[in-house]
This record gives sequence, C-alpha cells and structure tokens, in this order.
Amino acid sequence: MDPIPSSRARLPVNAYRIAQVALAILVAGFILWRFTTVLRTTVFGPDTWIRFAIAGLILGSVYALIAIGYTLVYGILFMINFAHGDVMMIGAFGGYFVFEALRAVKVAGADGPISFLDAHVAISVLLAFAVGMTVASLSGFFLERIAYRPLRGAPRLVPLISAIGASIFLENAGQLLFGTQRRDYANPAVLTRGAGWTIPLGDGTIAVPYTGVFTVVLSVIIMIGLYTLVRRTRLGRAMRAVAENKPVAAQMGIDVDAVISRTFIISGALAGAAGVMWGIHLGLVYYFVGFLPGIKAFTAAVLGGIGSIPGAMLGGLFLGVVESIGPAILGIDFQLKDVIAFSILVLVLIFRPSGILGEVLTEEKV
Amino acid sequence: MAAHLRSGLRTGIVLSIVTVFLVLIGFNVIAGGLIGDLLGHKDPASIELFGLTWAALDMLIFLGLLGVWAGAAGARHQSPDSWPGALLSGTLSGLLVGLMTAGLAYLLGSLAAAKVEVSRYLAALIPDSLRLFGLGMPVLQAALTYAWFFTACGLAGALLARGVVRAEWRRRLWTRLGARLGPAWARLTHQPVFHTPAARIVIYILVGVALLALPLRLGQFWNYTAGTVGIYVLLGLGLNIVVGLAGLLDLGYVAFFAIGAYTMALLTAPTPHHLMWSFWAALPMGVILAALAGILLGIPVLRMRGDYLAIVTLGFGEIIRVLSKSDALTKFSGGPRGVPAIGGPTFFGGRLSTDVGYVYLIVLGVLLVIFVTDRLQKSRVGRAWVAMREDETVAQAMGISTLRHKLLAFAIGAAFAGLGGALFAARNQFTGPEDHNLMVSINVLCLVIVGGMGSIPGVIAGAFVLKGLPEVLRQLQDYRILAFGALLVVMMIARPEGLIPSARRRLEIHGEQEETAPGGSPSAPGGGAS
Repeated sequence: MDPIPSSRARLPVNAYRIAQVALAILVAGFILWRFTTVLRTTVFGPDTWIRFAIAGLILGSVYALIAIGYTLVYGILFMINFAHGDVMMIGAFGGYFVFEALRAVKVAGADGPISFLDAHVAISVLLAFAVGMTVASLSGFFLERIAYRPLRGAPRLVPLISAIGASIFLENAGQLLFGTQRRDYANPAVLTRGAGWTIPLGDGTIAVPYTGVFTVVLSVIIMIGLYTLVRRTRLGRAMRAVAENKPVAAQMGIDVDAVISRTFIISGALAGAAGVMWGIHLGLVYYFVGFLPGIKAFTAAVLGGIGSIPGAMLGGLFLGVVESIGPAILGIDFQLKDVIAFSILVLVLIFRPSGILGEVLTEEKV
Repeated sequence: MAAHLRSGLRTGIVLSIVTVFLVLIGFNVIAGGLIGDLLGHKDPASIELFGLTWAALDMLIFLGLLGVWAGAAGARHQSPDSWPGALLSGTLSGLLVGLMTAGLAYLLGSLAAAKVEVSRYLAALIPDSLRLFGLGMPVLQAALTYAWFFTACGLAGALLARGVVRAEWRRRLWTRLGARLGPAWARLTHQPVFHTPAARIVIYILVGVALLALPLRLGQFWNYTAGTVGIYVLLGLGLNIVVGLAGLLDLGYVAFFAIGAYTMALLTAPTPHHLMWSFWAALPMGVILAALAGILLGIPVLRMRGDYLAIVTLGFGEIIRVLSKSDALTKFSGGPRGVPAIGGPTFFGGRLSTDVGYVYLIVLGVLLVIFVTDRLQKSRVGRAWVAMREDETVAQAMGISTLRHKLLAFAIGAAFAGLGGALFAARNQFTGPEDHNLMVSINVLCLVIVGGMGSIPGVIAGAFVLKGLPEVLRQLQDYRILAFGALLVVMMIARPEGLIPSARRRLEIHGEQEETAPGGSPSAPGGGAS
C-alpha cells in the first residue's frame, strides 16, 4: 500500500469548497422545494407514512446484513468486494431450491398428505438458511481464493477490476444456469407473502407482514451474533488485528491468509442469509437480484462509515427507510427510488466520506 | 506416491467442477455443435459409431478434450518426476472427472426418466440437451461410458504431458528454434528500410486503401459489425484516456455515450421535439454536451480515487439510465420506448444512408480520435496524466495541476464517448434506454483492459477481439459475457498490462512486482489460481 499523505490542501481548496457549497445549496433547495410542495398537496395519511417506514425497516435490515459483508472485507483488504451482491444471489438460489425440493416431498398430514414444507416449517426454514448460507460462504471463499488472493500487493486498480470481472462472471453463470425468468419463492403457508397483522390507526390500517417481522427479527439476531463474534472471540480479535495492520498481525503469530479467508466466509454467510430473507419476503429471485441490493448495501456501508460494523447496520436501516419514504416525501415518481439511493451515495462521499459512525477516513481509502 | 495422488486429486476436483459447470450451462452441446461444423458433419442425427450419433460424438470430442486437459494438468509439475507417477496422477484426475460426470449423467438421466421438468430449474438443460448428454443409452450405461471415457482421456493427457510437453527433445527443439529464428526475426524487423519516412508513408497508403476498399467488398452484416467495432474503438479510446492514462476508474462511462446519442436523437428526430437539426450541427453539440457532462461529473468526484470513484460513476451511469427509462422524462426524451427516426448525415446534398457510408464515417471518426489521442499522449498533458496516475502527490510536487488534468481527462474521454454515441444513434436511426445499460460500460472497460491500458493499438485489438469475434462465433453469443468476466479475472492475474501493452505500462507493472515481491505478501501477483 503506497501511503498517500492526507491533506486537502493538495487540491485547490477554494474551487472545491465553492463547488461543495454550491452543490449543498442546490440539494437543500431542491429538497425544501419538493417537501413544501408535497406538504401542501399531500394525499397520504399517517398510516401510509408508517407503512412506508415499516417496509423501509424490513428492506433496511436486509441491506444491513449485506453491508456488513462489505465493511468486513473493506476493513481488512481496503477493497470493494464488487461481487458481494452476486454472492447474495447465490444464497437466494440456494434457499429457493431447498424450498422447491421440500415442497415436492409429501408427508402424511391431518387431512391427507401435505408437503414437508408446510408440515415442518421450522426445519424447512432452518434448512433453507443453512443451505443458502453455506453455498454463499463457499462462493465467498472461492472468490477470494481465485480472484483476489493472487493479486494481493498488486496496484489498487488490479484487484478492483478482478472483482468486477468476478461479479460479471457470477451474474452470467447465474443467468446461464437458472435462466432469465424471475422465480417466486415457494414459502411455507404460514409465511405466505402479504399475510400479516393489521393494526387500525386513524382512518386506515397498518399491515405488518409476517415475513417482514421474521426478516427483521432474524437479521437482528444474526447481527448480534456477528457483533459478539468480532468483539469476543479469538477469530474476531484476529480479524481486528489484521484490519489494523497486517504485517504486525503476522508477526504476532496470526495466520493472515486464513483470517482473510474466514472473513470472506463470514461475509458470504451473511449475504446468503440476506438472500434467503430477500426471497422469503420479496419473493422474486433471478440472476440479477444481487446487483441493486449490492450497490445499495455498499451505499449503506459508506453511509455508516466503512469499516465500522455498527455503522453498516445503522446505514442499512437508514437507507432502507429513506428509500422507502423518500419518493413520497419528495413527491417524485416511485420508479426513481433507485436514484435516491445513488444520490445519497454521491452526496455522502462528497460531504462526509467518513460516514455517520466512521473513523476519520484517510485519503488513502477514498 | 502420495504427492502424485494429491496432485491428481486436486486437479481432478477442479476440472470436474469445471466440467459439471460447463454441462449445466449447456456449453457441451454448443461446443459439440461447433466441432461438428468444423468437421463438416452435415447430418448430426445420423447414427455413425458404436450406435452414437454425430452430435453425441462431437460432444464427446469436446468432453474428451476436457479429460485430456485434466490428465495433462494432473501430470504436470510433479516434484518427484517419474513416468509412473505422472501417469498415475493424470489417470486419477481423469477418473475423478469421469466419476463426477457419470454421477451427473446418472442423476439427470434419472430425473428425466421420472418426468421431472429439469429445464424449469436449470435453464440450459432442455430435453434435447439432456437426451444428447444421455448418449441415447440406458442411464447406467451412459454413466459408465463417461467414467471409462474420461479415465482413458486422462491417461492420454498424462502421456501427452509427460511424453511430449515435458520431454527433453521438445525443450531442445524450442531452444534451437529460438536461437535460429530470434535473430532472423530481429534482422527482418530492424531493416533500416522500414524506418524511413517513405516506408511509413507506404504503410499508411496501404492501410488507407484497405480501409477504403474493404467496406465495398463486405456485405451488409459485416459492415454493420465493422461499424459497431469502430464505435467501440471510439469508446475504448475515450475510456483509455480516463482509465489508462489518468488512472481514474470510471464505470459510468455509458452515461456520456447516452448523452451523445440522446443529443443526436432529440435534435434531429421528428419526435418528441421536432427540432430537425441537420446531422452535422447535432454532432458537435453531442460532443460538447458530453464533454460538459464529463466536467460536471468530474468536479464532485475530484477527491475520490479507486474504488469509490468506480462506485460513484457506476451510480451516475445508473441514474442516467433510470431517468431515461422512467415515465417522468417521457415527454422530454421518449421514455422507455426511445426515440425513433433519427436523422442521418447529408453529404453534398445526398443523404448518406448506406452501411458503407456509415462505415466510412465511423472510420473517419476513429482516425480523428486516434490522431488526437496520439498527440495528447505524447504532449505535456499526456505526461501529466501518467504522472498523476502513478503518484498524485509527486505529480503535484512537480507542479502539475491535478484539478485541471483530471477534469481534462474526464472531458476528453466523455467527448469521445459523445461522438461514439451520436454516430451510434444516427446509424441505428433509433436510441432508447436499453442501448445504454451497464453492459456498455463493462464491455468498454473490458476491451481497454484486455487490449492494454494506455495503448492505442491495444484498444483497437481489444475492440476487435471483444466485439468482432463474438459476431464471428455467433453460436457462442450466450457465453460471451460470462467469458468477459472470466477474462477480466484471468487477465488481472496473468497479464495485467493487457495484450498489447504500452511500453511504459509494461515496465511499470513488472517493475512494481519486482519491488514488492521480496518484502510484500508471500503470494506475489502472477501466482496461479488453484
């Protein structure tokens, strides 16, 4: 890693500052303008807003899981694992095939034979997550072994291009293997998409889908587990040491290569879990399913401060909510919700590259 | 013995994963078809040998090649170098591939026999492919056939590797040939005649005549392909400035292509604005607007580098695509249905609309861009870019304004893309959001990297390989992008400087390796992937 001294003075500060301030005024002006327009003409009651927020939280908890994978890898290798979203896609397909297979297996039920999926929901879901996380972490492991490890120590652009290549490869392998059609996850009947509690509020109701609650609860459990792993275990300590300083960690007797491998396995497992959740909650799974969540989760990781695990969690939730509420608040087309996420990414990188919780990001990383 | 077993085992596992993957994506069928074409098999369904059809035999040839590869790879690099050891590990490797393939054949055959619709889950395995893969035999017999077939191929591969590739006589032959041919080649190419101005003019004239005459001889399809390749050369040369010279990884390059195309479209087409400008007025507008967009994007991302820049530009490209696709801008830019009936160039009063005419136009554009790039590269600006790419701090200490040069790189790169986009839209007489998806950026990035960053001949060669070759091998169309992805990874590991690197780049990459290898990580770049 060639050390690049951090200093803003290297660029003509004035030109940059002026551009920054002008942009800030523009963005703030746009948001204010849209917001006041919407407030004057709004058609949404409080129940709608809460519904948006709930949808955002659910999506955000999936983003958070993926974002943690970016943060872990970035913290250690200073590289964006471009193929991370596609690892999620692989996990989603793993879960899909488990559900399909279990649906085909019939067992004796109270009235006639029913599918294994409906008869043993807990086992089925557990199995789907186990398989999805396993295939995803395997692909994460091989990804690092084949595409990244031979390039350690090469100029920075080189592993990044390799990562882009790996991402393209995985996406198209997915397309060639599973075809282009979007597939519906065959959920167990208990977790039917769309079913849920309805809570009356004002003159409307708020629907809380079962799959959404399931997603949020499970991702919180996984995140707590991961946090414990990084903070309390030997492996976690080794990971933090390697992130801090590789040569010194190696001198302390840490097998750096093994730690990096395990980091990829862990982040792959998280992405796999996120993929299965995506499938259970949103249903649609296809070869390109990892692309947008991947980029958005990266945005979330940057938003929270890349390298920081709580930051990634917070960033994910925040992004999910903003993306869900944003189009309504700004009164723009819902088709444009992806534009909001990308704009947030650009704005964060311009105004606060260290993110919400991030350590001070040296220019080496930016 | 244990080392040989291990080597065979490892190669066998890797190659069997590759083989299973290729079968699952249906590549064996396509490759078999290609081999059949090559061998001139007119009637693939006729039964020829051992009750097998030509189609099955052609597919077996392809799979056999994989088996030979497995055997050869297993037999290579043996530490205790011995004939029996090499044969053992090669055969073991082939056997493993055979067992995996046999298992797959058994599984798929049984599924098909149980009337499971396999292609619902694995898209490539349509019933025809399954029947071919089943060799028209009972399931168990097909599996056993695969097992012994691959084992035999592995043995053959091991024999080949040990007997020919690693043999002493071959090495001696190579050194002797090299000793003879090397100096002869050098003498031939270093003839002073080739380096006189007159010779260069002759070469230019020859190339010029070829460029003028060739489009007349090619048919419509090949002229269209040539035009596409030419436009990708334009895009590649533009991205080459941004990525190759200035070292700024731009993944949203398609945005500028789109801006050029939409400018041409909106200014010349009857819908949605009915401006009806002439082509020649709209062309510079497209270039200028794209360059402006380049500067506008450049300002906020000035301080970013590497991965962050890549993601932000990727986001920018996606924003442009989402916007052009959304209903919000339908009135302005045609929305998802795009802009039809884009005007073409007029030439001395006549409308230039033949494919030949467009090829000439594109070639003209390419020549212009090559000239500009070449002059820029050799100028003070070009040297400043390279200095900036290598080390921004040092470049600044040398008095280079990184601000100005980064913006200049973005602007010029974007201008070339704008030119490419405008020509593309005019030629197709249509442009829409799907012309400007992420794959364009990826394709252009691939061709710059495969050809060689910072090298003009490299970019041209890259465009021909990546855009021209797939048109020649149309059967492989579906696998093209998969191959691009793999190619990017392989290139980064094996030859990061590209196929035809610029002299400077080659020096940089290999210089860096020598520096980092001793003190750096144990796995230096260039180590093989396992």
